[in-house]
Amino acid sequence: MNVIRVEAGYLPGLATADVQWQVLPFEQDGQRVDVAVPVLTAPQMQALAERVKQASAQHLKTMAVSEIIDVIDRAISRLLDPNDPYRRQADALLPIVSGYDAEMVRLGLTGFFKTFRAPQLHRFVAEDFANPKVLDGFQPAVKGGAVRAFGPQLLVHSWAGNVPALALWSLICGLLVKAGNIGKLPSAEPLFAGWFARLLVEVHPPLADCLAVVWWRGAGDGDAAALYEQADTVVAYGGNDSLEAIQRRLPVTTRLLAHGHKLGFGVVSAMALDAQKAPALARRAAWDVMRYDQQGCYSPHVFYVQRGGPVSPRDFAGYLAAELANLQRRFPRRALDLEESAATAKWRQSIEWKLPADGADALIGDPAAPWCVAYTDTAESLAPTALQRNIVVAGVDTLDQMVPLVARRSEFLQTAGVAATPEELYRLAEQLGAAGVTRISAIGSMSTPEAGWHHDGRFNLLDLVRMTEIEQSAEAAADPFAPYEP
Amino acid sequence: MNNVAPLVADLLEFIAQDGCTDEQFDQLALRLFAYQYGASAPYRSFCQRRGATVRNVKTWSDIPAVPIDAFKAMELRCEPPRADERVFMTSGTTRADMRGRHFHPHLAVYDQSMTRNFAARVMQGTPRLPMGILFPDEVAMPNSSLAHYLALAKSAFGSEGSLYFMSPEGIDLEGLWRQLEDAERRGEPYALLGASFSFVHVIDALRKEGRSFRLPPGSRILDTGGYKGQSRELPLDTFYAELSDLLGVPRTLCINMYGMTELSTQFYDDGNAVVPSVKSGPHWIRSRLVDPETGRTVPAGERGILAHCDLGNFNSVNTILTEDVGQPAEGGFLLLGRAEGAQAKGCSLAVEEFIRSATP
Repeated sequence: MNVIRVEAGYLPGLATADVQWQVLPFEQDGQRVDVAVPVLTAPQMQALAERVKQASAQHLKTMAVSEIIDVIDRAISRLLDPNDPYRRQADALLPIVSGYDAEMVRLGLTGFFKTFRAPQLHRFVAEDFANPKVLDGFQPAVKGGAVRAFGPQLLVHSWAGNVPALALWSLICGLLVKAGNIGKLPSAEPLFAGWFARLLVEVHPPLADCLAVVWWRGAGDGDAAALYEQADTVVAYGGNDSLEAIQRRLPVTTRLLAHGHKLGFGVVSAMALDAQKAPALARRAAWDVMRYDQQGCYSPHVFYVQRGGPVSPRDFAGYLAAELANLQRRFPRRALDLEESAATAKWRQSIEWKLPADGADALIGDPAAPWCVAYTDTAESLAPTALQRNIVVAGVDTLDQMVPLVARRSEFLQTAGVAATPEELYRLAEQLGAAGVTRISAIGSMSTPEAGWHHDGRFNLLDLVRMTEIEQSAEAAADPFAPYEP
Repeated sequence: MNNVAPLVADLLEFIAQDGCTDEQFDQLALRLFAYQYGASAPYRSFCQRRGATVRNVKTWSDIPAVPIDAFKAMELRCEPPRADERVFMTSGTTRADMRGRHFHPHLAVYDQSMTRNFAARVMQGTPRLPMGILFPDEVAMPNSSLAHYLALAKSAFGSEGSLYFMSPEGIDLEGLWRQLEDAERRGEPYALLGASFSFVHVIDALRKEGRSFRLPPGSRILDTGGYKGQSRELPLDTFYAELSDLLGVPRTLCINMYGMTELSTQFYDDGNAVVPSVKSGPHWIRSRLVDPETGRTVPAGERGILAHCDLGNFNSVNTILTEDVGQPAEGGFLLLGRAEGAQAKGCSLAVEEFIRSATP
């Protein structure tokens, strides 16, 4: 078997030989990648944190936001170039490591990288700061005086591996607020973040010591604590259990920005269900289900479909099933391990056992197919499916009727895909927003959030900074001391 | 539905014979499948959704395996309910309100399956032994297949003076120590049978009291059923090392039984000198390893979920899909534990995690 060995992470100031490495093996279609991930000691971790803090104070905090955007833009343009060595490495290795279809990964990465080009990044900053120059220096405040935003000295990231290259979101946010950044690689996708760090440094060598990418086993012990102790802010993605474990390690004065479990869903109005529109809509819905096999926090689990249109909810479910079958041919689902396969089977069977005698077609498609559409006439509270392209279509009489079904899960809500008239969209958005939804997108765009979105309803950049104010009193008090004053 | 009598007679005869050919197994399995397909409406629709009919099922491994969850969700039976039937229920380790039920209109087949197999694998030629049972009796647990199994072991293979040591207050440790001392003194082999978690309590008590026994040669231990949250969990190797050390029974005679409420036949290993041990069953049960999502047999040599075709299951369904992970091994299979639910890798939400977070 062809075995490729890759060294993951990015450790400025540490030689390969000084670090312990653990090999994480990944295998896919007869190809194997051995990813060596670094295991630092607590003193090494501490030294690394010091180094990153100092360097970023010197080389990153002194750059203007526009200059930082320019650096990121140059790195991203290399990632968008199919012939660039970094991009070729990503296209070649990420499918093996993640198990996702190579073509799906390639399309997914391109779409994802496009959201981090210069114009999008400027929009990103402008979204959170009415005057982006507050990141560069004191700016006059509307109320009087002046104000400036300071990013963290050390921002620690704990990334998740459900979607390849996911680390970009928070790492770029950290760079935009000029934080020293140290990220912890997820074991499920331990490659991309380290590559991006190295690429950035190639593009702009003074950044060399301003960021680092590390790894630790499981929740990490002393080594993890040594890093967390030095962070002023921590961004973490993952299950509630791992978030809780991180929270327990943090001093109360450290800010934790946690992105935990979420459940997405779609809503389809009867107005979108004529013979022409419904098949196209089902096609877009299938893309949302297919992308990364529903592993995103924005991925849909249920489509609530209104009755009364020319195309019935049951027929919409049929269209969706046909599109999932098509997509399976283009982008085959990742091979499941035994536990995932068992969980999927259990979910499907739990629906099968509940079938009424005449509901033989509630599970649409071949029982052994790598996707499944479950149809129900009686909509239930939002609940997760088994993921892996298993989706529920539920018929509802009115759009209002589905709101309480999702409102019960307010702590898990994030993305709702909506296909409805403009009036319906705004009415529904009011209700869904009140229920806890933080993002409403078109169906088909659920799994591709736009640049500058408010992830989980929060401010990506604003949440990272601390504002320093010069009050009018200070300004006025300074005046008399000026040498030009009489 | 009245064609069941000859089928049962043939089953009893089949179990009584010494081994069988592949053709003989297939023949009876397919007859049983045809009967169950015709007599059980929920099973029939389950098979139809998988495209399996009496016409295209050609061999035992074509018979669709019914997941054990189905025993919770519906009544899987071929004969109509009767007042004197026995109903074995699962212990409901995951959800107490959802227990799997296995209906036995009579226990002739179950009992013959159990005794023939037990004689060969546990008694190994010895007709009777004094026995100690570390599990409640059938009066205390009328719906437990394990209680029936152990009661049958005691009545069919226990010599006079065999005793239960389980009371509502727990294990009668003093009584047990007396019995074990007695066995030591008389030099007569002794058999101790019970749930694995009961043995953990015995181990803990012996350690605490600082005592141990050297049971006479030929003594044996039979444990089954795992820990089910009723005791602390011990790694297999530690478990058998402790048992052997504290009771003086060699690990080759510490036998583990793997059985299920949804089955009528048990699997055994040939002792636990090496763990995990190879499990195997008698000629009237066959197992394969499947991918649970597709139901297809996994490629040779790979891990899979165990599916068993048990000809002793004449009234429910002869083929069941377990939640146990198995690995092929010479002469049987290795049991690698339960397939725990899949964990989400990031901020998506897996069902198991959702259920945990949604239940207070």
